[in-house]
Amino acid sequence: MKIMHNHPYHLVDFSPWPLTGAIGVMTLVTGLVKWFHNFNMNLLILGYFIIIMTMYQWWRDICRESTFQGKHTILVSNGLRWGMILFIISEIFFFISFFWAFFHSSLSPNIEIGAMWPPLNIMPFNPFQIPLLNTIILISSGITVTWAHHSLMDNNFSQTTQSLLITIILGIYFTMLQAYEYMEASFTIADSIYGSTFFMATGFHGLHVIIGTLFLLTCFIRHLNYHFSNNHHFGFEAAAWYWHFVDVVWLFLYISIYWWGN
Amino acid sequence: MALYLQRAVNAYVRNNARLASHAATAGGHGGGWKLWKNLSFFVAVPAIGLGMVNAYLAHQEPHERPEFVAYDYLRIRTKRFPWGDGQKSLFHNPHLNALPSGYEDH
Repeated sequence: MKIMHNHPYHLVDFSPWPLTGAIGVMTLVTGLVKWFHNFNMNLLILGYFIIIMTMYQWWRDICRESTFQGKHTILVSNGLRWGMILFIISEIFFFISFFWAFFHSSLSPNIEIGAMWPPLNIMPFNPFQIPLLNTIILISSGITVTWAHHSLMDNNFSQTTQSLLITIILGIYFTMLQAYEYMEASFTIADSIYGSTFFMATGFHGLHVIIGTLFLLTCFIRHLNYHFSNNHHFGFEAAAWYWHFVDVVWLFLYISIYWWGN
Repeated sequence: MALYLQRAVNAYVRNNARLASHAATAGGHGGGWKLWKNLSFFVAVPAIGLGMVNAYLAHQEPHERPEFVAYDYLRIRTKRFPWGDGQKSLFHNPHLNALPSGYEDH
Protein backbone atom coordinates (compact mmCIF):
# COMPACT_ATOMS: atom_id res chain seq x y z
CA MET A 1 0.00 0.00 0.00
CA LYS A 2 1.14 3.49 -0.87
CA ILE A 3 2.12 5.41 2.24
CA MET A 4 2.76 8.89 0.81
CA HIS A 5 -0.11 10.78 -0.80
CA ASN A 6 -0.18 14.02 -2.74
CA HIS A 7 -3.41 15.08 -1.04
CA PRO A 8 -4.44 15.60 2.59
CA TYR A 9 -7.67 13.56 2.53
CA HIS A 10 -8.25 10.36 4.47
CA LEU A 11 -9.56 7.69 2.08
CA VAL A 12 -10.91 5.16 4.56
CA ASP A 13 -10.54 1.39 4.23
CA PHE A 14 -13.52 -0.94 4.01
CA SER A 15 -14.97 -1.42 7.46
CA PRO A 16 -17.71 -3.68 8.87
CA TRP A 17 -18.61 -1.29 11.72
CA PRO A 18 -21.27 0.84 9.97
CA LEU A 19 -23.14 -2.38 9.18
CA THR A 20 -22.77 -3.94 12.65
CA GLY A 21 -23.69 -0.53 14.11
CA ALA A 22 -26.90 -0.38 12.07
CA ILE A 23 -27.83 -3.93 13.06
CA GLY A 24 -26.97 -3.08 16.67
CA VAL A 25 -29.16 0.03 16.97
CA MET A 26 -32.09 -1.73 15.31
CA THR A 27 -31.72 -4.63 17.77
CA LEU A 28 -31.29 -2.22 20.69
CA VAL A 29 -34.40 -0.16 19.94
CA THR A 30 -36.53 -3.24 19.19
CA GLY A 31 -35.29 -4.83 22.43
CA LEU A 32 -36.07 -1.64 24.35
CA VAL A 33 -39.64 -1.51 23.03
CA LYS A 34 -40.07 -5.22 23.80
CA TRP A 35 -38.82 -4.64 27.37
CA PHE A 36 -41.10 -1.62 27.86
CA HIS A 37 -44.01 -3.86 26.93
CA ASN A 38 -43.08 -6.16 29.82
CA PHE A 39 -41.44 -8.91 27.79
CA ASN A 40 -37.96 -10.15 28.76
CA MET A 41 -34.65 -8.29 28.29
CA ASN A 42 -32.92 -10.82 25.97
CA LEU A 43 -33.12 -8.76 22.76
CA LEU A 44 -32.14 -5.58 24.66
CA ILE A 45 -29.03 -7.26 26.09
CA LEU A 46 -28.10 -8.59 22.63
CA GLY A 47 -28.52 -5.06 21.23
CA TYR A 48 -26.29 -3.58 23.95
CA PHE A 49 -23.68 -6.27 23.27
CA ILE A 50 -23.59 -5.58 19.51
CA ILE A 51 -23.45 -1.80 20.04
CA ILE A 52 -20.71 -1.93 22.69
CA MET A 53 -18.59 -4.28 20.54
CA THR A 54 -19.09 -2.01 17.51
CA MET A 55 -18.21 1.16 19.43
CA TYR A 56 -15.10 -0.41 20.95
CA GLN A 57 -13.74 -1.73 17.66
CA TRP A 58 -14.71 1.26 15.52
CA TRP A 59 -13.05 3.73 17.89
CA ARG A 60 -10.06 1.39 18.27
CA ASP A 61 -9.64 1.55 14.48
CA ILE A 62 -9.89 5.37 14.53
CA CYS A 63 -7.21 5.55 17.25
CA ARG A 64 -4.96 3.36 15.09
CA GLU A 65 -5.59 5.48 11.97
CA SER A 66 -4.89 8.68 13.88
CA THR A 67 -2.06 7.74 16.22
CA PHE A 68 -0.14 5.08 14.32
CA GLN A 69 -1.00 5.60 10.64
CA GLY A 70 -0.95 9.39 10.61
CA LYS A 71 -4.22 9.59 8.66
CA HIS A 72 -5.50 12.59 10.61
CA THR A 73 -4.03 15.54 8.74
CA ILE A 74 -5.04 19.08 9.65
CA LEU A 75 -7.80 18.89 7.04
CA VAL A 76 -9.16 15.61 8.45
CA SER A 77 -8.84 16.97 11.97
CA ASN A 78 -10.87 20.05 10.97
CA GLY A 79 -13.56 17.70 9.68
CA LEU A 80 -13.58 15.95 13.07
CA ARG A 81 -13.83 19.34 14.79
CA TRP A 82 -16.89 20.29 12.73
CA GLY A 83 -18.37 16.88 13.40
CA MET A 84 -18.01 17.35 17.16
CA ILE A 85 -19.37 20.92 17.01
CA LEU A 86 -22.47 19.82 15.09
CA PHE A 87 -22.93 16.83 17.42
CA ILE A 88 -22.85 19.07 20.50
CA ILE A 89 -25.32 21.49 18.84
CA SER A 90 -27.69 18.56 18.26
CA GLU A 91 -27.25 17.61 21.92
CA ILE A 92 -28.13 21.18 22.96
CA PHE A 93 -31.42 20.88 21.07
CA PHE A 94 -32.04 17.49 22.68
CA PHE A 95 -31.89 19.18 26.10
CA ILE A 96 -33.90 22.20 24.90
CA SER A 97 -36.85 19.84 24.37
CA PHE A 98 -36.74 18.80 28.06
CA PHE A 99 -36.48 22.42 29.19
CA TRP A 100 -39.42 23.21 26.90
CA ALA A 101 -41.51 20.49 28.58
CA PHE A 102 -40.46 21.79 32.01
CA PHE A 103 -41.28 25.47 31.34
CA HIS A 104 -44.49 24.59 29.49
CA SER A 105 -45.70 22.73 32.59
CA SER A 106 -44.32 24.99 35.30
CA LEU A 107 -45.06 28.49 33.97
CA SER A 108 -48.84 27.90 33.90
CA PRO A 109 -49.52 24.87 36.09
CA ASN A 110 -52.73 23.00 35.33
CA ILE A 111 -55.69 23.00 37.70
CA GLU A 112 -55.27 19.19 38.02
CA ILE A 113 -51.98 19.63 39.91
CA GLY A 114 -53.31 22.36 42.19
CA ALA A 115 -52.54 25.27 39.79
CA MET A 116 -49.19 25.59 41.57
CA TRP A 117 -45.53 24.70 41.01
CA PRO A 118 -44.21 22.50 42.49
CA PRO A 119 -47.56 20.63 42.43
CA LEU A 120 -49.48 20.12 45.70
CA ASN A 121 -47.83 17.47 47.93
CA ILE A 122 -44.54 17.41 45.99
CA MET A 123 -41.51 18.10 48.20
CA PRO A 124 -38.60 19.17 45.96
CA PHE A 125 -34.89 19.12 46.90
CA ASN A 126 -33.33 22.01 48.75
CA PRO A 127 -31.13 23.51 45.99
CA PHE A 128 -28.57 24.84 48.50
CA GLN A 129 -27.51 21.42 49.78
CA ILE A 130 -26.26 18.55 47.56
CA PRO A 131 -27.30 20.25 44.28
CA LEU A 132 -25.10 23.23 45.20
CA LEU A 133 -22.20 20.86 45.98
CA ASN A 134 -22.78 19.21 42.60
CA THR A 135 -22.60 22.62 40.91
CA ILE A 136 -19.28 23.36 42.63
CA ILE A 137 -17.93 19.93 41.65
CA LEU A 138 -18.79 20.34 37.96
CA ILE A 139 -17.36 23.88 37.75
CA SER A 140 -14.20 22.65 39.52
CA SER A 141 -13.88 19.77 37.05
CA GLY A 142 -14.02 22.38 34.26
CA ILE A 143 -10.99 24.05 35.88
CA THR A 144 -9.06 20.77 36.25
CA VAL A 145 -9.75 19.73 32.63
CA THR A 146 -8.31 23.09 31.48
CA TRP A 147 -5.28 22.39 33.67
CA ALA A 148 -4.97 19.05 31.82
CA HIS A 149 -5.21 20.75 28.42
CA HIS A 150 -2.51 23.32 29.21
CA SER A 151 -0.27 20.57 30.62
CA LEU A 152 -0.75 18.55 27.43
CA MET A 153 0.10 21.57 25.23
CA ASP A 154 3.20 22.12 27.38
CA ASN A 155 4.41 18.50 26.93
CA ASN A 156 4.06 17.93 30.67
CA PHE A 157 3.18 14.25 30.97
CA SER A 158 2.86 13.93 34.77
CA GLN A 159 0.77 17.11 35.16
CA THR A 160 -1.59 15.88 32.43
CA THR A 161 -1.92 12.50 34.16
CA GLN A 162 -2.60 14.11 37.54
CA SER A 163 -5.14 16.69 36.35
CA LEU A 164 -7.01 14.28 34.09
CA LEU A 165 -7.29 11.77 36.93
CA ILE A 166 -8.66 14.46 39.27
CA THR A 167 -11.23 15.47 36.61
CA ILE A 168 -12.39 11.84 36.26
CA ILE A 169 -12.66 11.45 40.05
CA LEU A 170 -14.78 14.63 40.24
CA GLY A 171 -17.06 13.20 37.51
CA ILE A 172 -17.49 9.96 39.46
CA TYR A 173 -18.14 11.92 42.68
CA PHE A 174 -20.91 13.91 40.93
CA THR A 175 -22.53 10.68 39.71
CA MET A 176 -22.40 9.16 43.21
CA LEU A 177 -24.04 12.23 44.75
CA GLN A 178 -26.78 12.23 42.10
CA ALA A 179 -27.43 8.51 42.75
CA TYR A 180 -27.74 9.30 46.49
CA GLU A 181 -30.15 12.18 45.75
CA TYR A 182 -32.28 9.91 43.54
CA MET A 183 -32.53 7.31 46.32
CA GLU A 184 -33.43 9.98 48.90
CA ALA A 185 -36.01 11.71 46.67
CA SER A 186 -39.48 11.95 48.19
CA PHE A 187 -41.04 12.00 44.68
CA THR A 188 -40.62 9.55 41.78
CA ILE A 189 -40.83 9.77 37.98
CA ALA A 190 -44.48 8.66 38.34
CA ASP A 191 -45.38 11.58 40.64
CA SER A 192 -47.07 14.19 38.42
CA ILE A 193 -45.52 16.23 35.61
CA TYR A 194 -43.02 17.52 38.19
CA GLY A 195 -41.49 14.07 38.68
CA SER A 196 -41.63 13.30 34.97
CA THR A 197 -39.85 16.47 33.82
CA PHE A 198 -37.41 16.39 36.76
CA PHE A 199 -36.20 12.83 36.22
CA MET A 200 -36.30 13.10 32.41
CA ALA A 201 -34.04 16.19 32.41
CA THR A 202 -31.70 15.33 35.30
CA GLY A 203 -31.63 11.64 34.30
CA PHE A 204 -30.49 12.36 30.75
CA HIS A 205 -27.98 14.85 32.14
CA GLY A 206 -26.67 12.19 34.52
CA LEU A 207 -26.33 9.77 31.59
CA HIS A 208 -24.32 12.42 29.74
CA VAL A 209 -22.06 12.91 32.78
CA ILE A 210 -21.38 9.15 32.79
CA ILE A 211 -20.63 9.21 29.02
CA GLY A 212 -18.38 12.28 29.47
CA THR A 213 -16.53 10.54 32.31
CA LEU A 214 -15.97 7.47 30.10
CA PHE A 215 -14.76 9.77 27.29
CA LEU A 216 -12.24 11.39 29.67
CA LEU A 217 -11.26 7.95 31.01
CA THR A 218 -10.57 6.84 27.42
CA CYS A 219 -8.36 9.92 26.99
CA PHE A 220 -6.61 9.06 30.26
CA ILE A 221 -5.80 5.53 29.08
CA ARG A 222 -4.68 6.84 25.66
CA HIS A 223 -2.50 9.42 27.43
CA LEU A 224 -0.85 6.70 29.53
CA ASN A 225 -0.11 4.91 26.24
CA TYR A 226 1.50 8.07 24.79
CA HIS A 227 -1.17 8.58 22.11
CA PHE A 228 -1.21 12.37 22.51
CA SER A 229 1.38 14.96 21.51
CA ASN A 230 1.38 18.67 22.24
CA ASN A 231 -0.13 19.46 18.80
CA HIS A 232 -2.10 16.30 18.01
CA HIS A 233 -4.70 15.52 20.65
CA PHE A 234 -8.14 16.21 19.21
CA GLY A 235 -9.61 13.21 21.03
CA PHE A 236 -8.79 14.97 24.26
CA GLU A 237 -10.14 18.32 23.04
CA ALA A 238 -13.41 16.70 21.97
CA ALA A 239 -13.73 15.13 25.44
CA ALA A 240 -13.06 18.53 27.04
CA TRP A 241 -15.66 20.23 24.81
CA TYR A 242 -18.17 17.55 25.69
CA TRP A 243 -17.37 17.92 29.40
CA HIS A 244 -17.89 21.70 29.26
CA PHE A 245 -21.21 21.12 27.45
CA VAL A 246 -22.36 18.76 30.22
CA ASP A 247 -21.24 21.36 32.77
CA VAL A 248 -23.25 24.17 31.11
CA VAL A 249 -26.38 21.97 30.84
CA TRP A 250 -26.09 21.35 34.59
CA LEU A 251 -25.92 25.10 35.29
CA PHE A 252 -29.18 25.58 33.36
CA LEU A 253 -30.76 22.59 35.16
CA TYR A 254 -29.62 23.93 38.52
CA ILE A 255 -30.86 27.47 37.94
CA SER A 256 -34.22 26.62 36.37
CA ILE A 257 -35.33 23.24 37.76
CA TYR A 258 -33.60 23.02 41.17
CA TRP A 259 -33.64 26.70 42.11
CA TRP A 260 -36.37 28.63 40.26
CA GLY A 261 -38.69 25.60 40.02
CA ASN A 262 -38.44 24.99 43.75
CA MET B 1 -3.49 21.17 -16.07
CA ALA B 2 -2.27 18.34 -13.87
CA LEU B 3 0.81 20.41 -13.10
CA TYR B 4 -1.29 23.35 -11.86
CA LEU B 5 -3.42 21.03 -9.72
CA GLN B 6 -0.27 19.49 -8.32
CA ARG B 7 1.09 22.95 -7.45
CA ALA B 8 -2.19 23.96 -5.81
CA VAL B 9 -2.22 20.81 -3.69
CA ASN B 10 1.43 21.32 -2.72
CA ALA B 11 0.75 24.91 -1.71
CA TYR B 12 -2.25 23.76 0.30
CA VAL B 13 -0.27 21.06 2.08
CA ARG B 14 2.57 23.49 2.86
CA ASN B 15 0.05 25.95 4.25
CA ASN B 16 -1.45 23.17 6.35
CA ALA B 17 1.97 22.31 7.70
CA ARG B 18 2.45 25.94 8.71
CA LEU B 19 -0.94 26.00 10.40
CA ALA B 20 -0.02 22.77 12.18
CA SER B 21 3.20 24.20 13.59
CA HIS B 22 1.19 27.24 14.63
CA ALA B 23 -1.35 25.03 16.41
CA ALA B 24 1.54 23.53 18.37
CA THR B 25 1.87 26.78 20.27
CA ALA B 26 -1.87 27.35 20.59
CA GLY B 27 -2.46 28.93 23.94
CA GLY B 28 1.02 30.37 23.48
CA HIS B 29 2.28 30.64 27.02
CA GLY B 30 4.49 27.75 28.07
CA GLY B 31 3.74 26.76 31.65
CA GLY B 32 0.18 28.11 31.40
CA TRP B 33 -0.93 25.03 33.30
CA LYS B 34 0.50 26.49 36.54
CA LEU B 35 -2.32 29.06 36.72
CA TRP B 36 -4.95 26.33 36.29
CA LYS B 37 -3.22 24.05 38.79
CA ASN B 38 -3.23 26.86 41.35
CA LEU B 39 -6.90 27.60 40.62
CA SER B 40 -7.66 23.90 41.10
CA PHE B 41 -5.93 23.62 44.46
CA PHE B 42 -6.55 27.07 45.93
CA VAL B 43 -10.05 27.83 44.58
CA ALA B 44 -11.73 24.56 43.52
CA VAL B 45 -10.62 22.34 46.42
CA PRO B 46 -11.63 24.81 49.20
CA ALA B 47 -14.94 25.48 47.41
CA ILE B 48 -15.71 21.74 47.22
CA GLY B 49 -14.72 21.41 50.90
CA LEU B 50 -17.13 24.18 51.92
CA GLY B 51 -19.88 22.66 49.76
CA MET B 52 -19.35 19.27 51.43
CA VAL B 53 -19.49 20.74 54.94
CA ASN B 54 -22.62 22.71 54.05
CA ALA B 55 -24.38 19.66 52.56
CA TYR B 56 -23.28 17.45 55.47
CA LEU B 57 -24.53 19.85 58.18
CA ALA B 58 -27.85 20.34 56.37
CA HIS B 59 -28.34 16.57 56.23
CA GLN B 60 -28.16 16.23 60.00
CA GLU B 61 -31.76 17.37 60.29
CA PRO B 62 -34.30 14.50 60.12
CA HIS B 63 -36.01 13.83 56.77
CA GLU B 64 -39.61 14.84 56.39
CA ARG B 65 -41.97 13.14 53.99
CA PRO B 66 -45.19 14.43 52.48
CA GLU B 67 -48.40 13.21 54.05
CA PHE B 68 -50.07 10.49 51.93
CA VAL B 69 -53.04 11.78 49.95
CA ALA B 70 -54.26 9.67 47.00
CA TYR B 71 -54.27 12.51 44.48
CA ASP B 72 -54.89 11.41 40.88
CA TYR B 73 -51.72 13.02 39.59
CA LEU B 74 -49.42 11.24 42.08
CA ARG B 75 -48.27 7.57 41.98
CA ILE B 76 -49.43 7.22 38.37
CA ARG B 77 -49.55 3.55 37.29
CA THR B 78 -51.04 3.43 33.79
CA LYS B 79 -48.95 0.30 33.20
CA ARG B 80 -46.40 -1.72 35.15
CA PHE B 81 -42.77 -0.68 35.38
CA PRO B 82 -40.70 -3.17 33.33
CA TRP B 83 -38.77 -4.36 36.43
CA GLY B 84 -39.53 -6.16 39.71
CA ASP B 85 -43.21 -6.39 40.60
CA GLY B 86 -43.86 -3.43 38.30
CA GLN B 87 -45.19 -1.24 41.11
CA LYS B 88 -41.99 0.41 42.40
CA SER B 89 -40.04 3.11 40.57
CA LEU B 90 -36.38 2.48 39.70
CA PHE B 91 -34.97 4.33 42.73
CA HIS B 92 -37.69 3.18 45.11
CA ASN B 93 -37.23 4.20 48.73
CA PRO B 94 -39.83 2.41 50.91
CA HIS B 95 -39.65 5.09 53.60
CA LEU B 96 -40.10 8.10 51.30
CA ASN B 97 -41.97 6.84 48.20
CA ALA B 98 -45.55 5.76 48.81
CA LEU B 99 -47.22 3.12 46.64
CA PRO B 100 -50.70 3.92 45.21
CA SER B 101 -52.17 2.34 48.40
CA GLY B 102 -49.98 4.36 50.81
CA TYR B 103 -46.63 4.14 52.58
CA GLU B 104 -45.38 0.57 53.08
CA ASP B 105 -44.45 1.11 56.77
CA HIS B 106 -47.97 2.22 57.73
